[in-house]
Parts: sequence; structure tokens; C-alpha cells
Amino acid sequence: MSQIQARFFTEDKRYVVDDVPFSIPAASEVQDLSNVINKLLEAKNASHSKVDFDFLVRGQFLRTSLSTHMATEGISTEEVVEIEYVERITAPEPEECMMHDDWISSVDADAEWILTGSYDKTARIWSTEGKPAMTVAGHTDVVKDVAWVKREGLTSLLLTASLDQTVLLWEWNSERNKVKARHCCRGHAGSVDTISVDPTGTKVRLERARQKLKRQQRTPLMTLSGHSEAVSSVLWCDSEEVCSASWDHTIRIWDVDTGGMKTTLTGSKVFNCISYSPLCRRLASGSTDRHIRLWDPRTKDGSLVLLSLTSHTGWVTAVKWAPSHAHQLVSGSLDNLVKLWDTRSCKAPLYDLAAHEDKVFCVDWTESGLMLSGGADNKLYTYRYSAQQAEA
Amino acid sequence: PVTPTLDCGSSVHSSLVGVDTRLSSECVALGLQRLSSDIRNTVGNIPMEWYKDFPHIGYNLDGKKIYKPIRNKDELDDFLDKMENPEYWRTVHDKQTGSDVVLSDDQVELVNRLQRGQFGDVNFNECEPMVEFFSSDVMIHPVTNRPADKRSFIPSLTEKEKVSKLVHAIKMGWIKPRRVEDDGRGRYYNLWASEDSSILARHKMHLPAPKIPLPGHHESYNPPPEYLFTDEERALWEQQDPADRKLPFVPRKYSSLRQVPAFSQFIHERFERCLDLYLCPRQRKMRVNVNPEDLIPQLPKPKDLQPFPTTRSLVYRGHSGLVRSISVSPSGQWLASGSDDGSVRFWEVCSSRCMKTVQVGGAVKSVAWNPNPSVCLLAVALDSVVLILSPSLADKQVILSSERLLSAQQEGEEPAEGNGSVVWSEAEGEELNQGLRLKIQHPKAVHQVVWHAKGDYLASVMPDNTSHLQVYIHQLSRRRSQNPFSRNKGLVQCISFHPIRPYFFVATQRSIRIYNLVKQEMTKKLQTNSKWISSMAVHPGGDHVICGSYDCKLSWFDLDLSTKPYKMLRHHKKAVRGVAYHRLYPLFASASDDGSVIVCHGTVYNDLLQNPLIVPVKVLRGHVMTHDLGVLDVTFHPTQPWVFSSGADATICLFT
Repeated sequence: MSQIQARFFTEDKRYVVDDVPFSIPAASEVQDLSNVINKLLEAKNASHSKVDFDFLVRGQFLRTSLSTHMATEGISTEEVVEIEYVERITAPEPEECMMHDDWISSVDADAEWILTGSYDKTARIWSTEGKPAMTVAGHTDVVKDVAWVKREGLTSLLLTASLDQTVLLWEWNSERNKVKARHCCRGHAGSVDTISVDPTGTKVRLERARQKLKRQQRTPLMTLSGHSEAVSSVLWCDSEEVCSASWDHTIRIWDVDTGGMKTTLTGSKVFNCISYSPLCRRLASGSTDRHIRLWDPRTKDGSLVLLSLTSHTGWVTAVKWAPSHAHQLVSGSLDNLVKLWDTRSCKAPLYDLAAHEDKVFCVDWTESGLMLSGGADNKLYTYRYSAQQAEA
Repeated sequence: PVTPTLDCGSSVHSSLVGVDTRLSSECVALGLQRLSSDIRNTVGNIPMEWYKDFPHIGYNLDGKKIYKPIRNKDELDDFLDKMENPEYWRTVHDKQTGSDVVLSDDQVELVNRLQRGQFGDVNFNECEPMVEFFSSDVMIHPVTNRPADKRSFIPSLTEKEKVSKLVHAIKMGWIKPRRVEDDGRGRYYNLWASEDSSILARHKMHLPAPKIPLPGHHESYNPPPEYLFTDEERALWEQQDPADRKLPFVPRKYSSLRQVPAFSQFIHERFERCLDLYLCPRQRKMRVNVNPEDLIPQLPKPKDLQPFPTTRSLVYRGHSGLVRSISVSPSGQWLASGSDDGSVRFWEVCSSRCMKTVQVGGAVKSVAWNPNPSVCLLAVALDSVVLILSPSLADKQVILSSERLLSAQQEGEEPAEGNGSVVWSEAEGEELNQGLRLKIQHPKAVHQVVWHAKGDYLASVMPDNTSHLQVYIHQLSRRRSQNPFSRNKGLVQCISFHPIRPYFFVATQRSIRIYNLVKQEMTKKLQTNSKWISSMAVHPGGDHVICGSYDCKLSWFDLDLSTKPYKMLRHHKKAVRGVAYHRLYPLFASASDDGSVIVCHGTVYNDLLQNPLIVPVKVLRGHVMTHDLGVLDVTFHPTQPWVFSSGADATICLFT
């Protein structure tokens, strides 16, 4: 059996081993390598308890045997291979299931509260433990998107966008559990399907109508028009840039100050959702052809797909980057599955979360390591996702 | 090899010679014995002249000289001896001893035998039978055990040299090959040189008469048993028509050729053969060798014609009866469907959510969304009513403008009830809340309703074979109805407005008529070659029409080209129920009772000389067959390459 010279290293200070090359069998798989590292750690530190590791060879997760992986990636077996190892991400634990009266169209969660929008024309506030706190009713039509604006003590501002062409700004006091509509924002000639809040959370919010983007404070501050068809998703890249995805097969990036378009990324299919990660500066888009595509919004030519993640069998309706991890994202699809991805392992998702019995419409991910998904089976599922790995 | 007889002769000869020499020495020995005890000369066979001058004549066995006898006889003594001595004739002079020897009787006899050519030995039988060593009998031991010569199995070097010399000589041209007899001496000549060329041409075209096939085992008087008929084969043979029989006779087995009777069919068979030779036109057939692959037109691969719908993405569930008709809003956000369960449902396209259900109280035959994007209205045909619905699923402005369109007439003049058969009425009470705005009561059951592209006119069909009141065109803003046709031209199946020009398409059972609405005349009549038209769609450019029929055919008409179908597509197994064009993409689709939707690529060129390119690209399946009905209606999304289909299984599918 052939042997491969390998050197192991890690970013994690707790699991550092000596930086010397080892000769390991070429046919060894992830579990074998993990045993090797555990042995090394035990030799160093007697109190070490067994930890499962995942291994990266040149930034790609090892999923097959080492020799197969190196053959497919075209890595020479003559030299010493640098293998990075990280603690294995354990499967997200399903925690709560929150029943709604109707389909869930959107979810937005922060550290304490979960805000969901539903097809029964209301938005709901839940605690992260799954207790209903408040039902916000006021729209005359389906609530399509919700967003937290800011929180000052017990008072929170939240936004709901609806098919009735309005966006409502609500003030919610969590102690008295009272909700008050502060403003009603009109201006869209069509249903409002998505809203997004400035990262600073103070001044502007941005919403989407059919074919027009508006950015407004009570009355629209600015209309960003250019899409020829329905806009399906908008988000703030940073405080100066707004990114929008549309059914006209483009993702456009707008300059907020001037209202002009900066870049256009052209795809071949309808975009359903986008997400931007400030950690890795990539855009992830979900489209109707079952693929999740990663884009670099900074490219000038504007049509470069960095990576395609393919495993879903239906439209990808929701995609969300991990707030604290540069490589992980979660996606929801019409095939009833929520998938957890790592961009370093692009062939297959890390985990399939098959909790839903019907279409998944929205996913979210909080800083505290809570993943949420809601869909047409009226259920909002939360998954606990160990936070320590997020740090790693 | 030397023959045995020859061998025998030579041995006889040599033995004779041997006997001869032996004889002389024996005579000498005998003679000496008579003279003395043992006088033998040891000089050997040398000329005795060499001892002429010596007193001795040789040496005896002891090596002593043998002296010549004193020769005192002269010629006279010799003569006297000859005359007087009776033994003279048998007296021999021995040269080696120089003495005279008188031969005994035995010796004389021996000499006589030898002179006669006989064997010296009296007892030897020369006619003894020969022992045949080299006979035809195979012996177990070889006569000679000599191994074969080496030269018998090694190619001869000399022969090789000789052959190579000859070859070299032939190559160099020193040896000429055998001369060919040339016919240049005029032994043959062209008999037909002076013949007419037309007769010659006929000879060239001569085809030999077809040969009668040679008799096979079947015809044998004693065929192998497998050629004889079994009982079933015989029964079959007897049942068959004589023309269909494989063999014109039954194979029979006879014990001998003598017992074969006369062939009863002989005259008949000869006659048939003569007829064949006489009547069969024998002509050389010009066969064109064409590769069948070359006849297939070069179609692009479906992969190169993307985008087109490929997979079922969403299923819209909620109806309880078969969904007869679907229509997508001009914005592409909403989908309306009418079903046999008496309801019209409005769906959100992207989430398959049923946003609204309107109970209309009757099986819905047709729904049509107003194509004008500035109004939001839906026309619904059920029983004998056409309903105008305002689903309020759009912008407030749009809803207001559509309300204005509906109420515009009220402040104007009173509706002119021209023919009195069509009654316009407004919805009231509960129906108003549901979104119902107008009811247009027809005299008969309405089957189809379509909008004009501007969104002000709509046309409805009431198929009826007996009346000319089959089509009505309604103007919404003025609430007027009009029957454009005064004569019955056949059972109207479906109608359509031209998307750009003021033309009106009317499909009857077998043909499509195109009327100019401005000039009020028929401009064209398209012959579909199908038995019963079911549906029709007009290309957004307006120059092409597709039409589906209940006999499984889809015909494409190029209006500039001909009134006959440019192409007939027979891809469906069962009746075609619905056809549709895409507004932007070069796609069209057909829905059929076999449960499939077939999407075809149909590029139309601006160049009039180039025919449309039609390539079937995808068969979409997703509906369950219910009551022998499959897909009932098909329509495209206005902006995306997506196709909706509604089926008898009460679902609507979106294929993307």
C-alpha cells in the first residue's frame, strides 16, 4: 500500500499538533485521519477526549479516500501534502417547531426574538425558545417579508412588507407586549415582496416592488429602476451598496448615494433569492434551475460564477450565509429540504435537514447559532447549531 | 529403381562371364593334374610372351622354376597329329605350362553348354519362379532399412540455381514467354457492324428472362422426412388460397421413381410460365441509391435551443374537478384557473399559493386574463354566461382603472339592445364582494372567451350547428355585443384575435377562416386536413397559426406561405386538447389526452424566404390520467420560458 507524506496543521489553538511530516496510507479516509490526530493529541495531552475532525486538502474538504481525492484534484503525491483539519461540524439539532395558521413566507431572527411573516396576513413574534409573544395584524393581504430594524432596550422597530403594496413600520414593546403601527409606507405599484434593512439599522430601509426598487422613509427616498421584471430579493451589501436579484435573470448592484447602477451580474435563470456574506465577500444566489451559485460582486465583467452548488431537486427559494462563518451557507428549496453547505465541499452538502413536509420558503441564521426554516407546511423549525464551530 | 527382371538379366550375364574365366582356369588345373601331380604356375594372368625368351615359363607353388617342355614338334608333326590323333580335337594347349591337355568328356560337355549359352552347372534351373520382393503387398518389415537420402528432402541447390537463372533470363527479356496466338489474322469479324443502331440499343437493353428456380428437396420423389407435411401443415395448406400457398404442391414420398404419377399441374404450370415470359414487362429499373440519413433534415440539437421547460417545478393543488382552462396574468405573477367544480381560483405563480377562490356556480369552460397590463380583469365563460371578474390582485391604480373601464358606459347612453339576445347585467351583493363585476348573458352555452390584445373587446363562442349566432364580439367600454357573421359556415370550435392587425380567426371543424374586421370580409381560409379542430393559437407575430385537432395532429400554418399546413406534427398518441405560443421565446406547446405536454421550438424568421424551424424539444409528463382525460389546457408564462398545464386530475403543473 502506498504512503503519502502529509503535514497536519490547524487554526484551532486547542488541537495543534507538531509540525512534522507523517507518512500515512494513501487509502486512508477521514475517519482514519481523525484517529491519527486524536492519537497525536492524546500523546501530547493525556486528558484529551476524542474529537471528530474534518480535513481540508488545498481548501477542499476530504470526502473520499486521500488518494482518490488527490487524483481528482490533480495534486501530486510526490510532495508533502499540507492537510488542514478542523473540528467536524456536528449535525444541527432540531429544537423547536412553531406552528402557524398558514404558510410562512419569511423569517427574520435576532438573538432574542424571531419574527415571521405568514400568508394569514399577520406577522408573528416568537421567542427563540418557541413561545409566541405577539401577533402583528394590520395588513390587508399576505405578508411577504419581515425585518427587524433596531432594538433599544425593550422597544423594537420592525417592518413588514405585504402584497397589499404597503410596508408597515411597527414599534413593539416587549415588556408590555404592545405593538403600534408607526408608519405606513406606500409607493409601490405592485406587491412588495422583499425588504431589507440597512446594516446600521437607523435610517433607511429598502424594499422591493415589481420592477422597481424603492428606498424610503415614509415616502420613497429613491427609486432604483432598471429591472425589466419582478425583483425577487434585495439586500444591503454595506452601507453604500444595495444588491437586487430579479426574475429578468440579473443581479444588479446599486450605489445608494447616487442611485445609479454599478454592476450587473447576468445569469441564465430566474433568481429567487440572494445572500451576501461580508466575511467572504461573496454573493450566493438561488435560482429556479436548482443550483446555488456564488458570485463575486466586485468583478467588473459581471458574469463570473465562482462556484455552483447542486444538490437540490427543486427551485431554490431561500439561501443564507452563516453570519459568523465565511464558508457556510444554508439553503431551502421547493423539494422540502433545507441543506447546509460548506463552500469548501462543493460536491455535496454537509447536511440535509429533511424536517419539512412541504415547500420551504425561508431560512435564516442567527449569530447565536440558531438556524430557522419555514415553509408551506405552516411550521417554523429551529435547529441548534453548535456555536463553537462558528468561531472556528 | 531397377526393375527386378533387368536386375536378373545382368546377374545372369555376369555369372556367365565368371563361369567363363573359371572354366579356363579349371581346364588348366584339370590338364595339369593329368600331367603331373600339382604343377601350378603362380605368375598370374599375364601375357605369356613375356617369358618367350626365358627357358622357364613361371614358378610353381614352391617357387621353383617351371621349365618349358622341350618343344620338338614342328608343323609337320602337328599336321600328322591332327590327322592321326583322334584326341586332337579335345587337346588344348596350356600356355601357362606350355603343355598340351586332353579334355575329358565332362569338360567337353561343359564347354559345349557354355557355347550354347547355358549355365555350366547342370543342376541350375534358370526358369525357377522369382521371389517377388517388391510387390503390392504391404510387408511388416521393410525390404531395405536404408533411411531416405538427404537429397530427397533438401531442396536441390542446383535446381535452385537453374530456376533462378531462368527467372533472371525472363526478367532480362532474354527468354520470351510462350507466344500468344493472335487473332489478327481476321478469323472473327463484327457481324452487326452494318446494323441499325436502334436495334443495337434494344439489344443492349435486353434482360434475360427470369429463370425458374431449381427443384429442391420438396420436389424430390423421396424427400427427407422433414420436408413432408405434417397434418397441421397439410390442413393449413388446404385452407390457404392457392395464391398464398408457399408451395404449389404437397411433397410426397414414393418408394421408387417408377411409381411417381404424372404431374397433374404440368400443363397449368407451363402455361403460367409462358404467361410470365410473355406478359412480364422486363425493363431495367433505375434505382436511386440514397442514404436514408441524408433525407432527414439537419435539425439542431434540443440542447442548443435552450431555454425551454424541462422539469415539473410546482403543482397547484386545490381544485376538486377537472381544470378546463388556465390563464396567466400579463405580469406573470398570477395564474387563474377555471374548473368543473364551479370555482375560479387565483394562484400566486412563484409559490403555488391559492390566493383567492371565486365560486361562480357552474362548470367553468374558459378563463381569459385581460392582456392589457393597465387593467386587471378576467373573463370567465360558464354555461351561457360570460363573467367579468376583477380579482383585485394588482396595484390600486390598476384596479381603479379597470373599475373605470367597467363603469364607463353608465354615464353614457343606455345600452343598445340591438338583437336582444345578449343581456348585460351588473353583479350585486355577495357576488360583488367576490370580485364579480359584469354578467353577459348569452342565448346558448358559451365554450370559449378570448380577449383582443387591447383589452377592450372580447369574443365568445357558442358552438351551434343550426344557427348563425355562434360568435359574439363584445365591447367592454360601451357594453355592446355584436354578431359579426350573418351566415352559418359550420360548427365554430374556437376563435382568436390577431395580436396586431384587425383580423379575426374562426376555427370550424375542419378549416380556419380569417376575417378582416375592418373590411368585414373573409381574407383567407386555411385547410387543416384534420377531422375536428380542438384548439388554435396565433403566433405573437401574427403570421403563423398552430391548430390542434382531436385526431392527434398539430398543424402549423404559415399564413404567407399557403393555406395548407406548413407542417403536421403527429407526436401525440391521443387527441390534442390545447395549444399555445410563447409571447417572447420561440416556443410552442401542445397538450393532449395522453397526459403529456410536448414543447416544441419554433423559430420564425423575418426573412420571408426562410421557413420556420420547428424542433420538438421536450415531452413533459406530470398529470395523472383521469377518466381517459389527460391535459386539458396549456399556457405559457408571459416572460419566462415556463409552461403551465392543467389536467383532468384537478391539478395545474408548472414546468420550468
